[in-house]
Amino acid sequence: MHTLKLLSSFFKVNVQMSLAYRADTIVNILLNLMWLGWELLSLNIIFSNTSTLGGWGFGELIALLGVFRLVNTIMMAIIWPNTEKFNQSIRDGSMDYTILQPVNSMFLVTFSRITVWRIWDLILAITLMVVGINMSGDTTTALHILTFMLLATTGTIVIYSLWIVLIALTFWFTKFDNNVTILHALLDSGRYPATVYPVWLRIIVTFIVPIAVATTIPLQALRGELNSGQVLGFFLVGVVSFLLATRVWKAGLKRYSGASS
Amino acid sequence: MYLIIKRLWQVNWAEQWQYRANLLMYLLYWLVSPIIYLAVWTSIANAKGSVNGYTANDFITYYLVLLICDQVTSNIVIHIFGYKIQDGSLSGELIKPIHPVLTSVLINNIAFKVLTILGFIPVWIVLFFLFRPDFSHVALSGILLSIPAMILGFLVSYLLSAAITALAFWTTRVYSIHEFYFALILLFSGQFVPLPLMPKLVQDIAQYLPFQLFIYYPIQLILGKLSSAQIVQGYVSGLVWLGVAVLLFNWIWRNGVKRYSAVGA
Repeated sequence: MHTLKLLSSFFKVNVQMSLAYRADTIVNILLNLMWLGWELLSLNIIFSNTSTLGGWGFGELIALLGVFRLVNTIMMAIIWPNTEKFNQSIRDGSMDYTILQPVNSMFLVTFSRITVWRIWDLILAITLMVVGINMSGDTTTALHILTFMLLATTGTIVIYSLWIVLIALTFWFTKFDNNVTILHALLDSGRYPATVYPVWLRIIVTFIVPIAVATTIPLQALRGELNSGQVLGFFLVGVVSFLLATRVWKAGLKRYSGASS
Repeated sequence: MYLIIKRLWQVNWAEQWQYRANLLMYLLYWLVSPIIYLAVWTSIANAKGSVNGYTANDFITYYLVLLICDQVTSNIVIHIFGYKIQDGSLSGELIKPIHPVLTSVLINNIAFKVLTILGFIPVWIVLFFLFRPDFSHVALSGILLSIPAMILGFLVSYLLSAAITALAFWTTRVYSIHEFYFALILLFSGQFVPLPLMPKLVQDIAQYLPFQLFIYYPIQLILGKLSSAQIVQGYVSGLVWLGVAVLLFNWIWRNGVKRYSAVGA
């Protein structure tokens, strides 16, 4: 309850901040629509030259685009703005104030900045997923859709955990302000099924920077390609990576000594 | 003038060298999309034998050459110059007796380019061994012909981006305008896929735009896919666009500087 209250007040503050830039919001949404148009056009170009991509149909790629946009929205709306604030707070020592609050510091660092207009993007992502699942036809069962939602959440948690570890590293290496570039750079790989990538790239996007865990793998669950052991396995990976990230964060906090001391 | 350029080079080289770790990150960032497009299209070509006459090897050679052409012809003017108009630090440059955009910004951009290309060479060699392209049909004449074409492409791309950046004299939303311009390049330059695989309408419009000079035209030159008439036609359109870009930039710049009143003045 306490957490929810905090979240809603963060949200209110961020809405107020963004209301100061109303015209920017409209321009941003227009640009966002432009990129959606480009993404649909590029899928259309691919499917005017072939009927399947790595065995996946057009509808499935639309659903994948939806999942990709969901992950992308979380990155754009929460992860990047908070990374910026976090890196700044390590450099100038304002992290002190965050730690002094009687609230979980990981929670504060994650949610204090929210790019509000991206809610629009969230709606778009969900629409794409629904449309994509409908297009990909009759073979999808309710169970597949449920495992899809479960694994999409798990995958997002895995990426979130990696992010926590990456920014926590800043506690050890103060000058590490490139901490999230690797995540940012490989994000685009989530637009297409990882199964079409060469082996070395598939290994990178599955195990090192697990973008595919949040995009390709949920879609594989939707297609019914995963057995229950695999689903359970991915779920456990999500839980374990979250626990690990929390520990790394706590260990990092102990290293923090403020900017002036 | 030679001395000025030499000094500018030393200063800007040192400035860029300072950020060499960032350059590597930039390189990583820039590399991902073309590699993904390559993977997607080779997988389709492998599954079907060929796509509209393009075999898997055609796609591999296309994107590996694209990495080179894009590295040479692209520019970062908006990033090294946009903020100077907005925060007023342009004033210091305006009182110097040299054109800021055509000297120091240009040289800074070239220093950046040389450094990223140095970092890019080993990466390209690794990609070469990962994808094992068959470059047997590439001739020396094509490579030689492509060098002036890429320089021409860079000049046009640089001046057009500089013209867009100079819109910052009027609007604070210049980064959004630039994002739109970037999408146009993506659509019409052949960056996503060789132009003949694009919808007919896109191909037709691309003929009247400068963007294929940045990517598609130099790639086709290197791969030796153009007839001599097409080569001449490409160069002529490059020169025409260079003229247009010079005029456009000059016009926007002159009017912009007149409007300019530094922050705080």
